[in-house]
Amino acid sequence: MRRAIAIIIILICSLPGVTAQSAGERYSQAGELYSSGDYSGAAAIYRQLYEEGYRSEDLLYNAGNAFFRSGDNASAILFYERAKLMAPADEDIDYNLQIARSRVTDRFETVPRLFFSRWFDFLSLLTSTNSWAMAALVMFVVSLLLALIFLTKSRARGRLLSFWLALTALILSAVMISLAMRNNSLINNNKRAVITCSIVTGRSAPGENGSELFVLHSGTTVTVEQELGKFYEVKLPDGNKGWVRGDCMEKI
Amino acid sequence: MKRYILTLFNLLAALTLTAQEVNITVDAPERAVTGERFRIVYTVNTTGGQFIPPAFDPSFSVSGPQQSTSRNVQWINGEMSSVSTTTLIYYVVATKPGRYTIPEASFQSKKVTVTAPAREIEIVAGGAAASQSQGQSQGQGISQPAGVQAADAGTDVSLKLHVSTREVYVGQPVSATLKLYTRVNLSGINELKYPDFKGFLREDLETPELRSLETEVIDGVQYGTGVLQRFLLYPQISGEIRIEPVQMTAMVQQRTSIRDPFFDDPFFDDHFFDSFFSGVSTVPRSVSSQPVTIMVKPLPEPRPADFHGAVGSFTLSSDLSKSEVEVNDAIDFTISIKGSGNINLAGEPVIHFPQGIEKYDPEVTVRSSGTASGSKTFKYLLIPRNSGTFEIPPVSYTVFDPQQHKYVTLRSEGYSITVTGSDDQAEVAAPVYIPGEDVKYLGQDIRFIRSGNGNLTLTRQPLVKTTYYWLWFILALFLASVVLLLRREQLRRNADITALRNRKAARNAHRRLAKAKALLGSGMTEQANSELARALWGYLADKLSMPQSQITRENCHAGLRARNVEEGLITEFDSIISVTEYSQYAPRTEGESPAALLERASLLISKLDNVLD
Repeated sequence: MRRAIAIIIILICSLPGVTAQSAGERYSQAGELYSSGDYSGAAAIYRQLYEEGYRSEDLLYNAGNAFFRSGDNASAILFYERAKLMAPADEDIDYNLQIARSRVTDRFETVPRLFFSRWFDFLSLLTSTNSWAMAALVMFVVSLLLALIFLTKSRARGRLLSFWLALTALILSAVMISLAMRNNSLINNNKRAVITCSIVTGRSAPGENGSELFVLHSGTTVTVEQELGKFYEVKLPDGNKGWVRGDCMEKI
Repeated sequence: MKRYILTLFNLLAALTLTAQEVNITVDAPERAVTGERFRIVYTVNTTGGQFIPPAFDPSFSVSGPQQSTSRNVQWINGEMSSVSTTTLIYYVVATKPGRYTIPEASFQSKKVTVTAPAREIEIVAGGAAASQSQGQSQGQGISQPAGVQAADAGTDVSLKLHVSTREVYVGQPVSATLKLYTRVNLSGINELKYPDFKGFLREDLETPELRSLETEVIDGVQYGTGVLQRFLLYPQISGEIRIEPVQMTAMVQQRTSIRDPFFDDPFFDDHFFDSFFSGVSTVPRSVSSQPVTIMVKPLPEPRPADFHGAVGSFTLSSDLSKSEVEVNDAIDFTISIKGSGNINLAGEPVIHFPQGIEKYDPEVTVRSSGTASGSKTFKYLLIPRNSGTFEIPPVSYTVFDPQQHKYVTLRSEGYSITVTGSDDQAEVAAPVYIPGEDVKYLGQDIRFIRSGNGNLTLTRQPLVKTTYYWLWFILALFLASVVLLLRREQLRRNADITALRNRKAARNAHRRLAKAKALLGSGMTEQANSELARALWGYLADKLSMPQSQITRENCHAGLRARNVEEGLITEFDSIISVTEYSQYAPRTEGESPAALLERASLLISKLDNVLD
């Protein structure tokens, strides 16, 4: 009995010891593995950190590199895309993503998006969703203060100015809220997915019976339109749609 | 004449034969396979007479009998001996397994009747192959009608494609042997037609021409066999790949006897005469092999970058002819891959020769030893164009080893080349003006990973998805509303105070005037005048909602004018105020009495009260 208690105590004490290897240590360990050429080992650690919820543009960028080197081009593209969401203006990510994409089998005539939609996304990704949310809240309070001044001040000169300032702050607050929401949907609920199976068929209906429409290869980025059981309806970069097995892709 | 002599011999022989004892023997196998043909042979040592066949089991399908007779006449030391035999052959095919008895058969000659004993035979079930091969014939040169033989000898000749293995990886060579099996004489083979080996790359190996057949016993049956062609098959795609049959036309030799009414005599029904009077004809027959299915497994993914299609077990070696050279002297750099596998399909390794050394396309030599093993050599001619020390990095070459089921990376040595001499010779011919060179981009690769601590942060719940975030907005709005309401209330109360002052203004003024009157009555004129001034100022301050501190003559004028008060009243106000001010400094003034001034002030307040309200 005493022995059992001792064992339990040892176990409890050693538990934090086992998990004690902090995320930072594992991150630098992966970097060393990468430098020594063990790319798949590094990729495994990066992926695990990602799955534990750790985020940073460096982590995602390094994970993309490790997958690229270990030959898993689809995962490399996936992680570069994720890194790009965290740092939309980073030049290295863009460069490596472009190289990884050049190895994808499928080529598409992409339909370019409207410029303001691209700008809006870019703006929303400049900082995190919570920063936008906090800024929106602050801006809302400022707008309220200005509104109070407008409503209570009796002198005409100051009133007019405070009215316009309050209106501007209110509009800015609303814009920031929508940026925060856009940022959240891009990062946490992205509709885009990368094909991970080396080859997969797109069909006209969910299931294996629909007529075959197209064949996709690993690394192709698609947009998930809707999900029905194990099958996802995807939209290709050229605008075509079809049903593809959901386990053959991973969302960004 | 000759014929008469022969007839004479015949007669003589017949005489001697009568003395001989007649007997009959039966030769039948002890066991046979269903669907397969076997022979039952009855041999009688005489020629004349009648054979009474046995009653075969009705489940047997019997053909025959084929009757043949032979006679042997010998003269030894002047004595003649003659042996004549009659052979009857039944071809029997049993359909059901079991134990059967072949009953007795007898032979009746002129004098005696002999009986062959009954024989037991066991029929065992044969496989599907056995039932397919129904209609096989022993065909050992026995004369039989040509039509029968052509139909029966369907599988006398067969082709078989032997493959070394039936499960391979893509690219792993399969050695295949096309072998001929025959139980009949062949005079030749025509039109050997290979299928297109879809999914494979075929490489013919040197095969000696088939001149003689070897004897091989398969399942107790003797075959003449020979290898027609050996080749290697390299699978190119994965999956179950079927090799279609190989087809050929075999030239089968068979006898045809010429029956002539003149020779229709037992005496001539003889092998000796057969060879003279019957011909051997050659009949073409098409033969095809069974299709073979090979399971081809795909190579595991992902394929390493330096994998160039080599599947097998190989070794890599390299050689550099010289390590110290002059500028523009040629060096040979050799990379060779040895081992067994698809050596022919092994691709060229990627070698990163240093810049400044000119590389020419390699000279590729393949040496293979007839099977799938051999060596492939890539010989590069290198010409250094600049002096210095150059490094040829170790060449890594990845092959897939099917035995280990994994990729194996082979590495060669690295070399260092020292180039001496000056490299300005080339520049003599160059133009005088040398423009700046563009930077040479050698290739594209991803950039290196980021060092540093990575600034890892755990993901947090997005605020826009939380309720309390939105509650903050509502709280802010609520607070602002409260502030606004409070401020409004304060304003309203201030307004109330103003109204009160307004209402009480006249009363207060009159009270002060009454006090001034009382003071005047008691002879305190100065105090009465100042009380009068206070009454007027106080009245205006209350009426115009101004604090006492702001009460000046100008402010009062402005306030009164803003409320459309007549100029006359304003002048009256001014004059009363002026009198009170004067009276403070010059008490004994002439003119107007203080009591009259009080009256004027009282009148003015009443008038103003009517206007201002």
